[in-house]
Amino acid sequence: MRVAVTGTPGTGKTTATEHLDTDLDIVHLNDVIQEEDLYTEVDEARDSKVADLDAVRDWLDGREDVLVESHLSHLLDADRVVVLRCAPGELERRLIERGEPSEKAEENAESEALDVILSETVRDHGKPNVYEIDTTDRDPAAVADDIEAVLAGDRDPSAGEVDFTEYL
Amino acid sequence: MADDTKWGIAHIHASFNNTIMTVTDETGAETLAKSSGGTVVKQNRDEASPYAAMQMAEQLAEDVLDQGIDKVHVRVRGPGGNLQRSPGPGAQAAIRALARAGLEIGRIEDVTPVPHDGTRPPKNSGY
Ligand SMILES: Nc1ncnc2c1ncn2[C@@H]1O[C@H](COP(=O)(O)OP(=O)(O)O)[C@@H](O)[C@H]1O
Ligand SMILES: [Mg+2]
Repeated sequence: MRVAVTGTPGTGKTTATEHLDTDLDIVHLNDVIQEEDLYTEVDEARDSKVADLDAVRDWLDGREDVLVESHLSHLLDADRVVVLRCAPGELERRLIERGEPSEKAEENAESEALDVILSETVRDHGKPNVYEIDTTDRDPAAVADDIEAVLAGDRDPSAGEVDFTEYL
Repeated sequence: MADDTKWGIAHIHASFNNTIMTVTDETGAETLAKSSGGTVVKQNRDEASPYAAMQMAEQLAEDVLDQGIDKVHVRVRGPGGNLQRSPGPGAQAAIRALARAGLEIGRIEDVTPVPHDGTRPPKNSGY
């Protein structure tokens, strides 16, 4: 089984997946892309490497029973996709606290308010394979419990249950 | 001869569940009119529909024409909602409605934000 855990940067994917109790191999894809040079160019304005998704697919090919954690993971094949969500104001604060520049925190908060990643996920995987988890005001262990429920088949699919457009 | 018609900017925010439209002055600093899906349709699930966007556009156009704006540049942000496969169906409907209501449409720009960290998706993978 391949599970994708996606969500706007700052929703807590890396933190929550570090708390997971699972037999799946956890792939922190952002690190892999950097370490294995799986990118085509650098977006200088955003200080961000543009992922080479075909190279990423090749790298993942043949790896069974993985959980791929990244804001790009929904752009790859997966059996189930977990989308972590966070109220944009809190997401912006989390990113600033993590030491990110304010422009980066703001663009990610706006992306979250507009449901960019959720929409891409539903477009590519269909609603029955999407599991939205709101992390606002919740600690990483509780979020990890919800992801474990998805892995165990104990949670129903969901999408679009939060509306963060107030932030706009 | 002086041109006394004024440009505004129509901002269309199209999320999964909702559409919000504002018209600002040409600098973007002053909001002249604002509308959201929730104010024109009764059902939550219709807030991101093309129908809602059309209703909003008609009201906004009337409102800003009264304020002396008769041309708008359009900035679209967001994927647009309700599971429709083609991106921004609400946005397309809104732009047509703005034009029908008598506003001249200038530049149309897609300024959807890019979720990014140390890595980002390639351009053609998103919206
Ligand atoms: N559930 C949570 N509640 C509050 N803060 C959190 C939570 N999860 C993560 N954080 C903090 O928010 C920041 C972003 O978390 P991170 O796991 O790096 O997100 P992502 O991998 O989705 O970009 C980190 O500084 C982290 O300590
Ligand atoms: Mg991370």
